[in-house]
Amino acid sequence: MDFYLPIAEMSANIFIFLGMGAAVGFLSGMFGVGGGFLMTPLLIFSGIPAAVAVGTEAAQIVASSVSGAIAQYRRRNVDFKMGFVLLIGGIAGSMIGVQVVRILRQIGQFELFVSLSYVTFLGIIGTLMMIEALNTMRKTRGGKQVSARRPGQHSWIHGLPFKMRFHRSKLYISAIPPLLIGAFVGFLSAIMGVGGGFVMVPAMIYLLRVPTNVVVGTSLFQIVFVTAATTIMHAKQNQTVDIVLAMLLMIGGVIGAQFGAVAGEKLKGEQLRALLAGLVLLVCIRIAYGLVVTPNELFSLGSVFGGH
Amino acid sequence: MIADTTFPRPTVMAATLAFAVLLIMAVPLISSRAQVGPTPAGQVTAPTANKPPAPASDGRPAESVEADVSTRAVAVTSSFTGTEIIVFGTVEHSRQPTPESGYYDVAVIVDGTPTPIIARRKSNVAGIWINAESLRFEKVPSYYAIASTRPIEEVAEPQILDQNRIGFDSIHMKVAEQQSQMAPANLAEFRRAVIRLKQKEQLYQKSDYGVAFIGRSLFRSTISLPANVPVGPLITHTYLFRDGKLLSKHTNNVVLRREGLERYLHSFAFDYPLLYGIFAVLTAVAAGLIASTLFKRGSH
Repeated sequence: MDFYLPIAEMSANIFIFLGMGAAVGFLSGMFGVGGGFLMTPLLIFSGIPAAVAVGTEAAQIVASSVSGAIAQYRRRNVDFKMGFVLLIGGIAGSMIGVQVVRILRQIGQFELFVSLSYVTFLGIIGTLMMIEALNTMRKTRGGKQVSARRPGQHSWIHGLPFKMRFHRSKLYISAIPPLLIGAFVGFLSAIMGVGGGFVMVPAMIYLLRVPTNVVVGTSLFQIVFVTAATTIMHAKQNQTVDIVLAMLLMIGGVIGAQFGAVAGEKLKGEQLRALLAGLVLLVCIRIAYGLVVTPNELFSLGSVFGGH
Repeated sequence: MIADTTFPRPTVMAATLAFAVLLIMAVPLISSRAQVGPTPAGQVTAPTANKPPAPASDGRPAESVEADVSTRAVAVTSSFTGTEIIVFGTVEHSRQPTPESGYYDVAVIVDGTPTPIIARRKSNVAGIWINAESLRFEKVPSYYAIASTRPIEEVAEPQILDQNRIGFDSIHMKVAEQQSQMAPANLAEFRRAVIRLKQKEQLYQKSDYGVAFIGRSLFRSTISLPANVPVGPLITHTYLFRDGKLLSKHTNNVVLRREGLERYLHSFAFDYPLLYGIFAVLTAVAAGLIASTLFKRGSH
């Protein structure tokens, strides 16, 4: 069954996008990640314009994160004060990101920028995760107990001004690092069409030393609001949010996530992380290949923006 | 006395003769202009579109073409997957003995709204393929389909085709002024790339034997509008040729309109972008909440 996508301006088979949503939803349910970093490249590979893929995926992430955020809130796993500081940074970063998208589209370099960002981030995160997961697997095989949280060390972060007390996280640190982390994640969210959990969670654990039980809830809280703001700004500035496409992805995604969560329970944490790292690296390699291989067609056509 | 009356006779005769000569010279000039001669502006050769030309010199009424389109308004709805329109017409005062005689050539062109586009060429920079050189066109037809009774380059001379923008080689592409100093060879390459890419998207189409006579004067042609056809007005031009001469031309209009949900969503997104964004977020939140109550379990 074909459906005309109003913003992407193309006719698409709805089952392809439902299936794509379900497949990514399955993986995100299994690994407990948002899935934006998989969905946006998939959408671009399937012919959706990069800017529409990024804008639409922001809307889908709102849908897939909101239920998780509410569940975390009920379990009192959200540090609201920390969340607000991250959110203020996040919205500022997202505003900059949306403008950057507009400018890069005008000069025809948006696709390149998205690809390079994906290769960089997926490459770094995938490699780090793979190393960490393999080390954990080796250690647990050796019978040693692995502690997730390292003892608090004093670093340069503790020398910064504007200190705030974050009760829920049991932290007394400067507001500058969470603001910057939030801004960076908001920026990534706007230009890459991701929630940014893959940057936010490690940054909170390793840089801010937020307790792990609060990390997921707080980052989800921030992701819901930042992606919501990003969606609205993309719609306002770039008109690149395709609500029909977003709906298809949401429906597929929530169904896939249910099955993924069940499948995920059958695997160990480090096995899951190793699998996820492998997947991340595969996507990274696929995008890098697209940048390096000689294209069949050197020419491309673009619209002229700004003359509505 | 006689001399008085005869004396002016040669002058009168000379004047009459000169007038007659002028008239004889002028008539073919006028009639040839009416038939094939291009106007200085390089526009349509037929004197006025959709009107039959003056009778030909041999006394028989001149042929002219009249055409219409099967669908004057195409609705682009949410289930739009492309459509076909039929352009059909007749040759008035047809002289061809049978439909198969090939006495006339007909070319049907469907032309979309000219829009500005940018063509970009990738270059390898440090191992990565990057959009480097670009050329901005002020106006390129968003859609262009041509169907003819035989390959269009066999029908008439390039000059005539160019004047009427018939065929891919004659599509009018206006380069943005600030880039008009680009080398001609490079320009031609960009031009070919635009045609190639548009063809790949099925937005430029060519059908060499796409017009068929089904009677001595009746002909028809099927033009397909793909799902990605740019929404806007289309103009169909029907040209009648005989022996490489353009005899007549007819123009019709087709309207492509967004309708139903598709129209509503599109104008919502572009006319009220802020509200549309908020609506998208509310939809997403609702979808997430419905999903979590349906499955009684958060995905995290």
